[in-house]
Amino acid sequence: METTTLTPVVTKARGEGRREGLPAALLLAPFGAAFLLFFLVPALHTFYMSLTESSLTRTSAFVGLANYATLVQDPSFWSSLWNTFYFALLTVIPLTAFGLLMALLVNRFVRFQSWLQGAFFLPYVLPISVMTLIADWMLQPSSGVINHLVGGQRAWLSDVHWALPAVAIGTIWWTVGFNMLMLLAGLRNIPGELYEAAALDGARGFTLFRAITWPALRPVVGTALLIQLIASLKVFGQTYILTSGGPYNTSRVTLHYMYETAFTQSDAGYAAAVAMAFMFVVIALSLLARVAARRAA
Amino acid sequence: MSVRFHIARSQLGWTVAAVVASVVLAALWLFPLLWALSTALRPEHETVSAVFHWLPQTWTLDAFTRTLGAGNVPRWLFNSALVAFLVTVVTMAISLMAAYAFSQLRFRGRSLLFGLAMLAFLLPFEALLVPLFRTMHQLGMINSYAGLVLPQVVSPVVIYVFKQFFDAIPADFREAALMDGANPLRVLWSVYLPISGNIVWAMAIVTFIGAWNNFLWPFIIVTSNDMMTIPLGLTQTYDAFGVRYAQLMAAALLGALPVALAYVVFQRRVTQGFLAASGLKG
Amino acid sequence: MASVSLRGIKKQYEKNSVIKGVDLDIADGEFVVFVGPSGCGKSTLLRIVAGLEDITEGTLEIGGRVANDIEPARRGIAMVFQSYALYPHMSVAENMGFALKLAKVPKAEIAERVGRAAEILQIGHLLERKPKALSGGQRQRVAIGRAIVRKPEVFLFDEPLSNLDAALRGQTRVELARLHRELKSTMIYVTHDQVEAMTLGQKIVVLNGGRIEQVGTPSDLYERPANKFVAGFLGSPRMNFFDATLVKQGARSATVELAGGERVEVAADVARAQAGARVTLGVRPEHLQLARPGLEGGGIAATVALVEYLGDVTLVYAQAGEGGDMVAVKTDADSAPPALGSRVELVFPATRAFLFDEQGAVFAPGWVASTAEAMA
Repeated sequence: METTTLTPVVTKARGEGRREGLPAALLLAPFGAAFLLFFLVPALHTFYMSLTESSLTRTSAFVGLANYATLVQDPSFWSSLWNTFYFALLTVIPLTAFGLLMALLVNRFVRFQSWLQGAFFLPYVLPISVMTLIADWMLQPSSGVINHLVGGQRAWLSDVHWALPAVAIGTIWWTVGFNMLMLLAGLRNIPGELYEAAALDGARGFTLFRAITWPALRPVVGTALLIQLIASLKVFGQTYILTSGGPYNTSRVTLHYMYETAFTQSDAGYAAAVAMAFMFVVIALSLLARVAARRAA
Repeated sequence: MSVRFHIARSQLGWTVAAVVASVVLAALWLFPLLWALSTALRPEHETVSAVFHWLPQTWTLDAFTRTLGAGNVPRWLFNSALVAFLVTVVTMAISLMAAYAFSQLRFRGRSLLFGLAMLAFLLPFEALLVPLFRTMHQLGMINSYAGLVLPQVVSPVVIYVFKQFFDAIPADFREAALMDGANPLRVLWSVYLPISGNIVWAMAIVTFIGAWNNFLWPFIIVTSNDMMTIPLGLTQTYDAFGVRYAQLMAAALLGALPVALAYVVFQRRVTQGFLAASGLKG
Repeated sequence: MASVSLRGIKKQYEKNSVIKGVDLDIADGEFVVFVGPSGCGKSTLLRIVAGLEDITEGTLEIGGRVANDIEPARRGIAMVFQSYALYPHMSVAENMGFALKLAKVPKAEIAERVGRAAEILQIGHLLERKPKALSGGQRQRVAIGRAIVRKPEVFLFDEPLSNLDAALRGQTRVELARLHRELKSTMIYVTHDQVEAMTLGQKIVVLNGGRIEQVGTPSDLYERPANKFVAGFLGSPRMNFFDATLVKQGARSATVELAGGERVEVAADVARAQAGARVTLGVRPEHLQLARPGLEGGGIAATVALVEYLGDVTLVYAQAGEGGDMVAVKTDADSAPPALGSRVELVFPATRAFLFDEQGAVFAPGWVASTAEAMA
């Protein structure tokens, strides 16, 4: 079958330059309006607000970088940041490790795939409050099943040392399915012939994993780690509902702090600064992680 | 002993380990929901009794019936269903149109606008809460269905997935339709949409689940008990039920039921949709 | 009126000039074939007529009106795509009726027109099927049917046979010719296959590198090629070319010397060239004859390298001189083929050979003039 040598250029520029501005505008209008109204304008507004002294409903004086100056010296902000990092630490690696293990198992037992995959992924589709209700019930000091199994009467979610880890474990149960899915897709992309060739060469078991699976999977694992990092940093709902940031704010994460500042203390300007500062932290971290990943590759 | 035997044995060892790991992990992961179910199926006094029982001593649907009666659970279920449905329909509509424009139409500033749309990823939704709240306030949409639905229809992920898909459809179909006299909207409706059936379903279900599960935005915008969605309402159940764990678990399970069902029925599509969506963030 | 005319058409993609200036007139009811090698611009030219590509410079007229800025659907044309582009989710009937539906034609009329087109193409029994349940040949007919239903003034075909197997191709060629006779519409047909071009075209447009090399009837192009490109493009096996030097000029003939030193005579008017000029000698395989070596008068020495028996003809490939191209000779299959490795002399009538100058343009064949004189 003949294909003209022009095909690559043609495909790109087919119908190029035709009067398609108007239909395009019409098709983009609904999304454009929503995007403008519910993202762009609020985003710019947040940025502006961070430079003002504002309440929840009223924007007041322009104060330049005063909010940011306060931020840098605010112990609550830094402790919330620390809590957030701690939470990320508690979740990112286990989530990826468990996700990888589950992906390997699901990939191996093809016959039971939908069941196994379903068991691991089902929690991910559940609303957050289902997870928090069940977690709260299981962690009850006197009637909770956890304490029945490990003994004692500890009130996990009110414990200074265990509150955040408990939330982390609940989060792992809740979201591991997504990691599993990503890694499963990565596993499935490895051509079967590689394994066959290696088997003929005499490799088996762990050697196969180390020589073929892991090198092919590394980029996917890197991506999963990065996505998980960003998602973990953005945690809010679980801690808010389960521990209210306590006890004594030891489990208050940054977004929770931002929420409190904005809605409880009605200091929207400062909250906006917190949000912007946090956004930069997240972006910086993800860029750093990307660079590190590229170096490692 | 032959080499074959040794190989088979090491394979067997791994397989046994894998089976054990699968069973253990699957059991661990299913346990919370099963335990919640077991709790929900027992009378209230059993949940706090001194003696611990794995299974209900008395099986009863009391908790469920009471949950549906007390509080506002049926109302919340209705709200969630309506909002999730509206969000899904609107998001699909505007995303399909935008994706088609980005994919198939040529116009000045196309890549710029597309890049801008994808920027929405960088900024966490949480950072926009206050301005969004104010905008809603100005539009008079606080505590309304419109207020609940509208900010959720902005979904760069969905647009990205659709655009990738449209890009892969051979241009011949569009040109044939063009020669048949179809305008761009008609081409989208009569040609691209039917061809993209599967992926549209997948993203629709994923969007539905996301909208159903959305906690943060309803939390901000809803001020009356009546307008709450399920995820939000469930956190209010302590006030509604006091500390009645059977009912709490029943409420939780009821809130999970629609999305769990959606997943079980549409497992493949849901998987496909989430995978496609993750492709962007990767 | 369904004439098409192109004036000074140029098309540029970014820095690439794809169509470099095309002038062409197509009369109402003509079957015109655009033919040429990959990348010559024939598909682009077709798409320009269709309105799927913009024109950088020049004017396109369809049916007498300037069509540069008219939308494809309103140009009175219909196109059959190389890949057929049948909407996979619609049935055959729906595919064929889609354009009419968009034009808000009443359902009864749509059904009637679809039915009639289906009859012409003998696909009436397939109307309810979906494209994926059809064979390649059937899909192609549906694609044609879709075009017929719209009753266009001009039909455009973009390599419609290239996806079919050889047997089906021959059969469909016949049917397309029949279709043209029945519908009497103007048809523009793009192909890279010169056999299709020769058999289907009333007028052939040979394109190369964005320009027209020659326009004419099949016999025009075959017997009187304007340049080396056209001469080498049409005809299978390809015309044999030999590098030569002009030695002697006669009134309507010339003698040239070949690489191997042989001197042969060609009936061509070389008045515009000088002795010693470099030329190319072209002889078609069917005009070469194998003679025993040593025969008098202008033969080319060669050694038989390969013999291909095709049933109706035998192709003999011979090596002329050291490391030269293989010369193809078409001989009657009934006579015994020469042995491999045997030496032969290739002879040809002087009136059946062509001379091309260094730029590839042909020197007017002498026999044209003499035939014209004889007829005058």
